[in-house]
Amino acid sequence: MAARVDYFYSFRSPYSYLSAPRAFALADDYEIDLRFRGVIPMMMRGQSVPTAKRIHTLRDAKREADRLKMPFGHIHDPLGEGATRCLGVSEHAIDLGRQREFVLSAGQGIWSEATDPATEPGLRLICERAGLEWEGCYAALSDPAIADRVEANTQELLDIGHWGVPVFVYEGEQFWGQDRIDDLALVLSDTGLDRRL
Amino acid sequence: MRDWLERELGPRLIVAASTVTLPALAMARARQILGRSGRLEMYFGFDDPASAYAVIDLGRRLVGRNVIFDLRPVVQRGIKNDPALEPKRAYAITDGRRLGRRIGLTLSRSEAIAPQKTAFLAAWAAAAPPGAPLTRFCTEACRRIWFESDGEIEAAQYETLWRECFGASPIPDPEAVRLNEKKMSSRGPYETPAAWVGGRWFFAQDRSAQVADWLDELGWKVER
Repeated sequence: MAARVDYFYSFRSPYSYLSAPRAFALADDYEIDLRFRGVIPMMMRGQSVPTAKRIHTLRDAKREADRLKMPFGHIHDPLGEGATRCLGVSEHAIDLGRQREFVLSAGQGIWSEATDPATEPGLRLICERAGLEWEGCYAALSDPAIADRVEANTQELLDIGHWGVPVFVYEGEQFWGQDRIDDLALVLSDTGLDRRL
Repeated sequence: MRDWLERELGPRLIVAASTVTLPALAMARARQILGRSGRLEMYFGFDDPASAYAVIDLGRRLVGRNVIFDLRPVVQRGIKNDPALEPKRAYAITDGRRLGRRIGLTLSRSEAIAPQKTAFLAAWAAAAPPGAPLTRFCTEACRRIWFESDGEIEAAQYETLWRECFGASPIPDPEAVRLNEKKMSSRGPYETPAAWVGGRWFFAQDRSAQVADWLDELGWKVER
C-alpha cells in the first residue's frame, strides 16, 4: 500500500495555487497516495489577516509565480461563495478521480484569469476545462454530505494544530508552505519511495 | 462596484505595482556612481531558529558584494493577537531542523526559546553599528544558540564572544531594539526573519535566493 500524504489546500490561498503543480507531481515521482484536502479559507473561519500580510502575500506570490513560470496577477478573490463552491466541486472531483485537473483549473482561473467561481459561467468553465460534467458539479454544490467532508477537512487541519495552507502531512510530520515541497520530497526519498530510481 | 474593487482591481494593482523596478534600479545605480555601498536591512530574532538560519545563509550570500549587512535584532513582533502564536513557535523547531540541513547544520534544540531569554543579546547588538564585528557576533551567536547548544542561554558566554568581536564590553540599549521594531513595522514586515533591500522585503529564510537575484539586478553583484 502506498504511503499516505495529506495535502491541505485553500482555493483562496495564492501559495496553495503555486504549490499545486508540484504537489500533484509528487504522486508521479514517489510511491505515495496524495490525498487532496480542501479547507475553508482562514478569513471564513473567523481569523483576521492584517493588511500588511495581505499586500506582502500578493507581492511575494507574484515573484514566486515568475520564478516558477506560472501565470499570476489577473485575480478574482474567491472569498465566500466562490471558495465554497470550489470546495464542493473538488470533493466531487475526488470521487471521479479528477481532483488534480479541477484544482489546477480552478487555480488558473482564480489567480490568472480573474474567473469568478461564484457565478455559473465562471465555475462551469473551470469544471469543464477539468473534464467534469457541469450537471454533476452543480448537484455537488447542494449535497450536504460533500459539505460535511469539507468541514471535516477543515477541522482536521485545526486538530493537527495547524493554521495556514498549503500543508502536507506525512507520517504525522507537517510541511507548511509551498517552499517545503522539496523538503518533503527529500524525506520521501530518504524513506525509499522514489519511483524514479 | 466595491466588490469588484476589492476582489479584482485592488489585488491586480498591488501585483502590477510590485513589478515596477525602475526607481529601485535608478537609486542603486546612483549610489554605485557615487561610490556608495548597497544596504540590506535584516530584521531577526535571536530566539528564532529561522532567523539563525537566515543570518548565516544571507551572510554567506553577501560575501563579495559591496553591500552593508545591516543586522537589526528585534524582540517584539508578529501578528497582533495571533491565535496561532504558540503552534507557530513549536512548528519553528521542526522547520528549523530542515533549514539547518540546507546549510549543513544540525539544530541542537528541541524546544522554542521565549523571546525575553535572548532580549539581552538584542539590546547589545541593536546598539552597535553595522560592520564586520557585528556580523561576526550575530552570526556566531545564532550558530551557538541554535546549532551548538541546548538549555539556558548564559549572558557570560556571549559577553566573551562580544569582547572577541568588538574588543570591549557590550552596552545594552533596549531603546535601540524598540527603534528596530518600529522600523521593521514601517517597512512592512510583521514577522522575522525579514530582509529589506532595494525597496522590497522578503521572508529571509525562504527567499534568500530571490534576495541574491534582486541584488544582482540592482547591480550589487559578487565582485571578489
